[in-house]
This record gives sequence, C-alpha cells and structure tokens, in this order.
Amino acid sequence: MTPSAEGSARNPAVEARGLWKTYGEGATAVHAVHDVSLAIERGEFVALCGPSGSGKTTLVNLIGGLTDPTRGVVEVDGDDVGAMSERARAQLRLERIGFVFQAFNLLPVLTALENAEFPLMLRGVEREERRKEVLELFEHIGLGGLEDRRPGALSGGQQQRVAVARAVLGAPALVLADEPTANLDTAASDALLDVMELLNQERQVTFIFCTHDPRVMRRARRIIRLVDGHVERDAEKEPGDLPSWVLEPVGA
Amino acid sequence: MMERAQVIGSIALRNVRRQARRSILTASAIVLGIGLLMFIRALEAGAHVMYVDSATRMGTGHISIEHPDFMGSQDLVHRLAAGDIALAMQEVEGASPPGELGAVFPQVNVGGLAQTAASSIPVRISGVDPELEGEVSFFADKIVEGRYLEPGDQLEAIVGVGVAERLRVELGSRIVLMAEGTGGELESQLVIVSGLFRTGVPEVDRGVVQLTLSTAREWLELDGDATSLSVVLASDDRTGQITQEVRERMAAAGAGPDRLAIRPWWEAMPDLYAGLRADTVQTYIMLLVLLAIVALAVVNSVLMAVLNRTREFGVLRALGLNRSAVGAMVMLEGVVLTLASGVAGMLLGFAIALGLFGDGIDISGLFGEELSFAGAIVDPVVLPVVQFVDVAAIFIIVVVIGILATLYPAWHATRIEPAEAMKTDE
Ligand SMILES: Nc1ncnc2c1ncn2[C@@H]1O[C@H](COP(=O)(O)OP(=O)(O)O)[C@@H](O)[C@H]1O
Ligand SMILES: [Mg+2]
Repeated sequence: MTPSAEGSARNPAVEARGLWKTYGEGATAVHAVHDVSLAIERGEFVALCGPSGSGKTTLVNLIGGLTDPTRGVVEVDGDDVGAMSERARAQLRLERIGFVFQAFNLLPVLTALENAEFPLMLRGVEREERRKEVLELFEHIGLGGLEDRRPGALSGGQQQRVAVARAVLGAPALVLADEPTANLDTAASDALLDVMELLNQERQVTFIFCTHDPRVMRRARRIIRLVDGHVERDAEKEPGDLPSWVLEPVGA
Repeated sequence: MMERAQVIGSIALRNVRRQARRSILTASAIVLGIGLLMFIRALEAGAHVMYVDSATRMGTGHISIEHPDFMGSQDLVHRLAAGDIALAMQEVEGASPPGELGAVFPQVNVGGLAQTAASSIPVRISGVDPELEGEVSFFADKIVEGRYLEPGDQLEAIVGVGVAERLRVELGSRIVLMAEGTGGELESQLVIVSGLFRTGVPEVDRGVVQLTLSTAREWLELDGDATSLSVVLASDDRTGQITQEVRERMAAAGAGPDRLAIRPWWEAMPDLYAGLRADTVQTYIMLLVLLAIVALAVVNSVLMAVLNRTREFGVLRALGLNRSAVGAMVMLEGVVLTLASGVAGMLLGFAIALGLFGDGIDISGLFGEELSFAGAIVDPVVLPVVQFVDVAAIFIIVVVIGILATLYPAWHATRIEPAEAMKTDE
C-alpha cells in the first residue's frame, strides 16, 4: 500500500497541529476552529463536546477532508488531509474513514443491506463476501431480519445503526460521528452507543463523536471540550464517569 | 472501477424510477412532445410521398431522359432521336429489377397557342402515348367529363377545365393548336375535345392540352423523335440507384451525359424538390421549438431532483464518491429519464401514425380550394409514412436534449460541498 501503511504503526489515527478554520474576513471573521492541536491514538473512543457553535462539526469535517483548513495541519494515519487533492480525499474517505451524520445518512433508494455494503461495493469486494460480512454484522448489532427494508421502513435508531455498520464496514480505521444520537430517544441512544462500543472493542475502530448529551459523554473514554473553536479541556476518564467540568458553563 | 460504474448506474436507475413517479408530468410532456413530433413528421412524409407520386405521374416520371439542353431551351432542336429512345427504353428495362418498373413512355412537350373563334391562349401541349402511359397517367385519373385518350385516337385531345373555360369550349368542340415545328415554321393542328380533366393544380388546369403522340409527331414532323422519355417506377425507394444504373449503361452504349441528360425527379423538378426540403426544414424548426420546451421541462425536473437531494449527494461524497462520479450519476439519471420517455413518445407516435391513422387521414382542411403544393397535387387523404431517417433523427434529438438538459443540473450537483450539504434540511 501507500507509505501510510507502514506509518500507521507509529502515527496516531488523527493528529492536528496548529489547526485553524476561519470563515469570513476582517472584523466579521469567525474562527470556527481556533489553533487546535491534538492527537488521537488508534482504538480510542472519544467524545467531542462543547456548546452549540463551538466548532465540533467543523473540526470533524476538517479531519474527514470535507472542509479545507485555513491554517495548520491535520493528518489521518500520518497523511496530510489538507494537502490532498479532491480525488485523494474521496479515496481516503472511501478506504479509511466512515461518516455518521445526525440524520438522513442512508440512500432512500437502497435497502438497509445495500446501504451498509455500499462502500464495500465501491471498493470492489465480491458480492458473496460483502453480503456475508453485512449479514453477520447486522445480526451482531440487532439489525438481523431488517436487511431488505428501505430506510423509510426503519426507525431512527435502526437507521443510525445501519449508518454505523456502513461506516465500520467501509472504513475499519476511523469513524467520525457528528451528533449521531441527537434525533434518538434514550433507549435508541443507548443501543447505538452499545453498538459503537462493541465495534470499538472488537475491531479496534477509532470513534470520534460529537455530542452535547451527558448520557453519551458518560460512555466515552476521553472527552475533548471545545469552546469558541479552541480546546478548553482534554482528558481521559473511566467509562461511566462524567467529570463535572464538561457541564460547566462557558467562562466559569 | 467496473464495479463502481455499476453501483453508480444502478443507483441512478433506481432514482429515475423514484423520479419518474414523482415527475410524471415531465415524463408525459416528453412522451407527448416526441409522440407529436413523430406523428407530424410521419404525416408530412406521407404527404411528400403523395406529392412525388402525383408529380411523377404527371409526365416527368421518376426518371426523365432528355437532350441535355432541352430543359433550358424548350426547343425542338434539342430533341431525342428515335434511335436513342429505342436504346434508352431497352437499357431502362435492363437496369430495373423485376417489379420495379411501372412504365416507360416518350412524350412530345412544346409550348404553343390554343385558338377558337372566341379567343387564343398560350398552352403547354403534350403528345402522349395512351397505350404506354395510360396505366400510370395522373390525367387519366382526373378526367371529370368525357374520356382519356385511347390508342388509335387521331384528332382527340383532353384539356384542363380551366382551358375549356377560357376558350369557352365543351366536349366535341374544335380547337386549333399552333406551335413551331422542327423546320422552324409555325404549324397548326386541329383537335377535338374528347375529355376534360381537373387536377387541382391551377397552372395545369388552366394551361395544359394533351393529344396523342402519333398526331403530335405528324403535326410537328418529328417522325419517331420525341422531347423526352419518362420512366415511372413502382415506388420512389430506388430512384437514385436505378438512375445511376441507367446512366452507366447508356454511357457504355455510347450515349454519355453530353448526349443525354438522365435525371431523377429531384433534378428534373427542382422546384418541387426545394419545396419539399423547405417544408421538412420548417417542420423540424417548428418541432425544435416544441422540443426546447420539453428540454426546459427536463432541466426543471432534474434540477429539482438535485436540489431536493442535496443531503444525499453530501452523503455520497462523504462516503468517498468524488465530484465527477456524482456528476455522472445525475447525467445518467437525466439522460435515462429523457431516453425512456422519448422512446415511449416515439412508440406513441408510431401508434398514432400507423395504428390510429394507418388508413389515412383527411387533411383537406389544411388547404383551401386548391389542392396543390409546389406544382404537385395534394390528395386530401394522406397515409402517414414512418421513415428510418426520421426515426434516427428524432432518436438523436432525444439523446441530445437529454444530455444538454442534464448538463446544468449535473454541474450543479458536482458543486455541492458535503460540509454545506449536511447542514441543509433537504
Ligand atoms: N460555512 C460557514 N460559514 C460561516 N460560518 C460558519 C460556517 N460553518 C460554521 N460556521 C460557524 O463556525 C462556528 C462553529 O460551527 P460548528 O462547527 O457548526 O459548531 P458546532 O458543531 O459545535 O455547533 C459557528 O459560529 C458557525 O456559525
Ligand atoms: Mg454541529
């Protein structure tokens, strides 16, 4: 493979150095991401939290190459995402990054199974093999029997689990999830987090998920709190714990 | 790579299906537009076949053989010698595949005067052979009073209803025809009106007199000569091919283009040909305007589909499809939508043209009293004709519309930024 394969052994899954994203110019400029430096190792289970507008989405999009940095470097497996061409980024997302958005993740014309196997299809995995993989995973994460349903016939929680399955099947290294539970009730949120935790532990998939839900933060093993685009606090913690600082009002 | 193209293709197709239901209006606009186009062209092509048929049977034939200068001079000096006529008749027989030949007949055509005690008018005088030409002659079909010429007739003549009116003659009346003979002298010939014809073409009805070829030859001292030899074929399909074959055979027999002009009807009747061409071009222009409206419907529908699915394109990009793959997907959707509707429209056109109106359609309402077109006759009942060139042209037009109308929406889809797309509600 590319140089990153050998590099991936020593490089962190994600590394940002002096990363900025500025919208607008001069007096009206907004620093959505403001001089962020951090490293996330492979297999971590990280929650990005912070008030609305603090730059969580922008940071995740920078990591996934959906947005260009204004300044600084962001690397995935040691590869500089900001320096890549459009095509190379598409390839990076196809092979190494899975995205899960807040809602409307699935293609309405495809069944649950087809949605989940989509990245595998794009990568040319044989039909038999990818069906087997999808069905096994579906069974494992409580989606057994739903494979032929269209997204419209699935609950919100089921749709999000299909999206996580797709992210994991397509890109086993890193999953970026932007408020994946925001539209779900407590039970469905817990079920989705169970699935993410399971895949993180069994497959060593790195998860970075944005959230402002304390129940979700409780599940993380590391919390990064952004305020005004800047990393205010970054700490590891035990699963189940909820440090008091994550809920403190800004500026306190 | 192959796999990726298949995935993109299959999603595009499913979206078309989803879309076809949603934008059933666009699809029906295309179906109706193309169907109408197909039908109008079939009708026009049918009318053209009819014009050509009647024009060729008025004497020129599908193929006309003359002295090269006769068309310009209309002078008996430039006539066909008896020997050339016999040779040409023989080579035409040889050049025509079995069943293709309708009739071969010599004619004498001169300009002259027709006189009675009442008045004198300029006319076009044709000496025709009723035996050779009677079967195919358009005039024989259009006799309204009396009878057509018969073999053995001597002084009998048929005249247009307008000629009869202007000379104030009726069946049995005498007319004196005057024309310049081969010697350069003005010669006169007495004829008796045996029939009146009404073709519907004013110039013909008001200015044509026909008598037998043998009488014309005696009168103008032509012996076995004539001014033209006409070939009427069973259909117009192979006119060009047979013309070429006759030319080659005649040249091989020593009668090259400097001695004989062998012309297909479109060269012998350039005005008719130009008229038909102009008619076709006019129809296509009119229909292109119609299709531009159809194209706008496609642009609108595909663009709406793209705008309504901004998030979906955002997801696809986030999954690792690049800009061009997303653009290709939209292109495919638009082109398939247009093609499917277009082909359905073509089938509708076929069905209307050949099924509903396969027995002919009365178009007399489109013309006034005078049923003529560029000197050719219009029968009020037209049989629609679906020509391969039209089917091919319309198919190409459909493909081009599909591509052009989808370019902008596809370009728009490639411009979608996934980060922005995921913020929208659509
Ligand atoms: N495309 C954009 N143009 C201008 N400002 C933007 C754009 N995207 C985000 N922002 C601004 O950047 C800041 C961070 O936004 P975002 O990353 O969405 O925060 P969060 O996901 O934490 O709510 C906000 O002030 C937001 O208004
Ligand atoms: Mg956000």
